[in-house]
Amino acid sequence: MAETTPPAAPPAPPASEAPKPKPVVPFSPVILKHIHEPNAHTLEHYLARGGYETARKHVGETDPASLVAIVKDSGLRGRGGAGFPTGMKWGFLAKGTGKPAYLAVNGDESEPGTFKDRHILEKDPHQLLEGVILTCWAIQSNHAFIYLRGEFILGYQRLEAAVKEARAKGFIGEKSFGKDFPLKVTVVRGAGAYICGEETGMLSSIEGGRGYPKIKPPFPAVSGLFKCPTIVNNVETIANVTHIVKNGADWHKQWGTEKSPGYKIFCLAGAVKKPGVYEVPLGITMREFIDVYGGGMVEGRTLKAVIPGGLSAPLLTPEMVDKCTLDYESLAGLGSMLGSGGITVLHDGVDMMSAIYNTMRFYHHESCGQCTPCREGTGWLEKLAHKHHAGHAHAGDTDLLADVAKNMRGRTICVLADAAAMPMQSYLQLFRPEFDKRVAAPEYVEKGRTARDEITPAAKRESVTHGAPGVLDVGMGMDRV
Amino acid sequence: MAKMPAKTLSSEALRQFHDWVDEYPNKRSMLMMVLRLVEEEFGCIDDDAMEIAADLCGVNVAHVQGMVTFYTHFKRPAHGKHRFMVCATLMCALDGNTDQALAQIRAKLGLKPGEATPDGLFSCEKVECLADCDKPPVIQKDDEHFCSMKGPALDAYIDKLLTAEGKTSEQYLAATPVTMDLRVAVLPVHYNFEGEQNVGARRFDDKDPYFAPGEGSENGSARTTGVPPALKTPLTAPVAGGALNPSNAGHGANGTSGGQHG
Repeated sequence: MAETTPPAAPPAPPASEAPKPKPVVPFSPVILKHIHEPNAHTLEHYLARGGYETARKHVGETDPASLVAIVKDSGLRGRGGAGFPTGMKWGFLAKGTGKPAYLAVNGDESEPGTFKDRHILEKDPHQLLEGVILTCWAIQSNHAFIYLRGEFILGYQRLEAAVKEARAKGFIGEKSFGKDFPLKVTVVRGAGAYICGEETGMLSSIEGGRGYPKIKPPFPAVSGLFKCPTIVNNVETIANVTHIVKNGADWHKQWGTEKSPGYKIFCLAGAVKKPGVYEVPLGITMREFIDVYGGGMVEGRTLKAVIPGGLSAPLLTPEMVDKCTLDYESLAGLGSMLGSGGITVLHDGVDMMSAIYNTMRFYHHESCGQCTPCREGTGWLEKLAHKHHAGHAHAGDTDLLADVAKNMRGRTICVLADAAAMPMQSYLQLFRPEFDKRVAAPEYVEKGRTARDEITPAAKRESVTHGAPGVLDVGMGMDRV
Repeated sequence: MAKMPAKTLSSEALRQFHDWVDEYPNKRSMLMMVLRLVEEEFGCIDDDAMEIAADLCGVNVAHVQGMVTFYTHFKRPAHGKHRFMVCATLMCALDGNTDQALAQIRAKLGLKPGEATPDGLFSCEKVECLADCDKPPVIQKDDEHFCSMKGPALDAYIDKLLTAEGKTSEQYLAATPVTMDLRVAVLPVHYNFEGEQNVGARRFDDKDPYFAPGEGSENGSARTTGVPPALKTPLTAPVAGGALNPSNAGHGANGTSGGQHG
């Protein structure tokens, strides 16, 4: 909001009643600043731009509590999806338990539409590592785990190499930076499970088990990894720590809104001219983001809907997009969420029934199977979505979808059930006519025909599934692997 | 007599394993990385590899089977030598990108998702989001990652692989592909050690995997020791430098008892 307000237009009197506009501070990328430079992942490159200086200055010297205070003051919120204030989370870490404390960095990045951590891990791993060192000092942990998804092969190789380099330089080890601060950093690879992006699921995976989420409370800050106090943070959050400690809390707060200070990496995918990762101050408008950063819609297409925060975020219609700014509160106010910052733009040609079927197939595939409402519910949602997609749905199936989705929410150990139910509820709310159109009329069912045959003639349907313009089918059929 | 795995780990892989021992609070927590190790060592995770992983991490084989069937990214014997993983989640599937990539693979290799060629060289599957959504379609071929992989680039890549294997597209189009079976085998009775009663179970201490570092079990053998007990898996070559930690007297005793199983 603040960035779009012209500074030359002060609010009309009485000035005391109107909220004072924040001065517009020019912003250039912080975390992604160097990713386009060759060899940005090497230690030489990182040291040449002042790398590890902040960690060297603070580790073993500064009072850890003051580092926590800086991060708390900065208002940094978790970048993994939930947006929980990072400093506050660090403050919850159980003290005096006699057990070691752990830091677990979440680089699973499994939310579809999100690919920001990939860029940090592959192109600037030392930046993450310095954040890890500072965070470990701040929370007085001697062991950090960095969990990457198994598909990040280059990211794993580069991060592992970075850890080795840092160890050889003495930044990590028995005496980090020559101070009396032993620190171990362990990189763990996952193997293709969405649920390991959930914090307790990730901890289960690090412990050497299936990625089953654990019931909360106790929260990881009290009893997490190996039943010891554990802080779980996203890769982007940890990468932010270095810059905040280096430049101070006020520097971070000069961007963003009051409740969502700072900047964030957003991932833009879908029907825009320039998809990619962009680091922007929080609070800019969604329209500005799509039109200026994303270069606008692809030729000949108009905006139909936006998925604002990864696949599990409820959709935004074009009217909502006009009202939307990129901060946690604005999106929550529109009934959606900022989530992990994976923004996907759907154009007018997307068949919403195939889109929701594809989405539900994803959640059914990725449900870990611990809780019945999720294990069975995601299966029901997928089957019912498939019936709508294929035009086989009967009257009442659409209401059944709504009913199943409603009863999945808030009844499971982790939020995967909610993550599956939320998009379904939002599609139903915003695109109910498209569902109703796919309910087969009785005469078609009897003749072995479906409503879909009427909507899209079979010949046309055959052609559109292979990328031709027209109605797009992204449901990808029933056969799952 | 206990069945020994037909395969053995190389000494390099064992050395890597012993390097990791210091990094993890207990052996069970090394399982994800050990599975990657055996996957790299043997090309895929088969029954023997699972048994070796269970042995190294001190968990029972059933637990490892549970892991391998839960995590979909591990390579299994049913997968082809060249394993194509095509992202089918919404961001890639938009605008028919995934469909096009799958159609191209089918036109070249005759494979639908979930199928492998009869000679086991190629397989194709749909996977969920590979986290590079701005450049669809995203394809992973084993350890190689490709963005915007459709059209001529994909065709040329498959042709390159076919040439390297000395095969032609026509051979595969004429053959009937096989459906991949990713289930694990039920453990046969002879997987048990002598005197062991529970069918399919292994005598490893997996009672409480959540020991905090420093805590030990009641008989005094700390699970969080920096040196693992001797491996029941025979070494192909002795580890250079002899015993890993000569000062640990209990280590040798363990090694003797482990040797009896062989």
